[in-house]
Amino acid sequence: MIKIPTRILVVDDEKDFVEMLSLRLEESGEKVSVAYDGQECLDALAQQSNDIDVVILDIRMPGMDGIDVLREIKKRFPLIEVIMLTGHGTTESAVAGMKLGAYDYLLKPADFEELSRKLEGARKRKDEQEERIRQAEAKLLVRRTGGA
Amino acid sequence: MSAAETAALGNIQLLLVDDEAFFRSTLKKRLQKRGITLLEAESGEAGLAILDVHPVHIVISDVKMPGMGGLAFLERVKADYPEIEVILLTGHATTADGVSGIKAGAFDYLTKPIEFDHLISKIQQAYSLILRREEQRREAELRERMERQMILTERLAALGTLATGVAHEINNPLAIIRESAGWMEMILAKPEMADAPRKADFEKGLDRIEKAVERARRITHQLLEFVQKPEKKASETDLAVLMAESAELVRREAANHGVEIAFDRREAVAPILSDPYQLRQVMLNLITNAIHASEKNGRITLGLENAGDALVRFWVSDTGAGIPPENLEKIFEPFFTTKSPGKGTGLGLFVTRGIVARLGGAIEVDSALTRGTTFRVTLPRTLLPPAAELPSPEQKRQGMFARLTQALSKEKE
Repeated sequence: MIKIPTRILVVDDEKDFVEMLSLRLEESGEKVSVAYDGQECLDALAQQSNDIDVVILDIRMPGMDGIDVLREIKKRFPLIEVIMLTGHGTTESAVAGMKLGAYDYLLKPADFEELSRKLEGARKRKDEQEERIRQAEAKLLVRRTGGA
Repeated sequence: MSAAETAALGNIQLLLVDDEAFFRSTLKKRLQKRGITLLEAESGEAGLAILDVHPVHIVISDVKMPGMGGLAFLERVKADYPEIEVILLTGHATTADGVSGIKAGAFDYLTKPIEFDHLISKIQQAYSLILRREEQRREAELRERMERQMILTERLAALGTLATGVAHEINNPLAIIRESAGWMEMILAKPEMADAPRKADFEKGLDRIEKAVERARRITHQLLEFVQKPEKKASETDLAVLMAESAELVRREAANHGVEIAFDRREAVAPILSDPYQLRQVMLNLITNAIHASEKNGRITLGLENAGDALVRFWVSDTGAGIPPENLEKIFEPFFTTKSPGKGTGLGLFVTRGIVARLGGAIEVDSALTRGTTFRVTLPRTLLPPAAELPSPEQKRQGMFARLTQALSKEKE
């Protein structure tokens, strides 16, 4: 079975980390874009929101921090799933992220297998959500055409 | 009269030294009637022999005796047992002896024939002096102990801030190392790399990198646990259940080490208001340490007791090698470990102490080389203050002081 790649946007101000994680994700068959701060992330999404399934988002970044970015993503692109990454010991901000609608969070340095599982889960949730919307739209369409 | 002066004569242990048997037996009867416990000797030499095996509070000694005289006896007593108070008995003609006696450290002297009530009041005075001295010594000890605790607490707080800052900064480069190694491993696993030269060497090197990253990650995450804020809401915590559960969790590991875990005391302690998850962590850390400190056939005992109205206490004792005195102050510092590299992070007790402090409690350690170590954790029944109104550092200091004083004075009772 051919794996359909998950389209991932990696957002972190640690350039080397972004590069290495991207290479690894690509090596395992995912499609990866990158951004190095919150604003760049939002700009990228604004241009290609239909081409991203999951955002891997660092919480601690200069300028706009991860939580603010998450809030903005959920407001403007509610279907896109977000996995928070934190170097913070306090899981509090991660938990706050979950409340704001993040799919999950991981502590840095994260275990790649765990990250892969979470990416898969996030992707599945997004697919299901999109499927429900499609069905709802289809029903609506049927009702309309049926009524005509 | 102060409370100390009216102190029951019944608590007093006394040695009466006089060569006159009739005088001894008369006085003995009268003193015993007042409840004083009395030993007697007919000479200074005999008196010293008794003190050797039977320490007393007060010595009453005649001055004129054959062999070792009262003054020589006094000198020996004060030299060997400075805590003992000596009352001298002199004849009318020899009051000068009494004066030299006081110079040599006697509490007082009485002239024969003695007036019994006078003697009783001298005994009471001497005894209350002993009690006062004892009390002062205890107070000084307590103060010193608290000061040591405070210095330790402050040093640990500073070290904690530094260490967690470092841990946080290290996590990012650690993540880069981990992803790089993981990426290279993935490449090596590709079919086109199947025949790459020295592939096994690269795999070996990458495996070591990953293991080392994992080890470093364990350290940084454990350190960062230290700064995690406690749950906002305290919940009902049954320490007996928690201890039994914790013991159960490590029983297998203990068995592997040939170590037995048992309860030596389990008082009925009402559930306290605290954080059960963090307390389980504390118990697990302490029991696991105890297992590692134990030799084969070692025994770990757990205990739980009420410590007054406001406090409860649990402890973990082992029969292991004990902690050398020079290490006792260091064991709570981050990265202090006697385990071999890679075995212990040196953070277990540091984190444990941090948690206990955040829960408003105190942790103390008692250790004797070759006999074993006991860690005692004293906790308030109610987790105070509420997280909403955190105290200023000074308040915190006072609060800790008050709690410590309370805990330690309770212990003395």
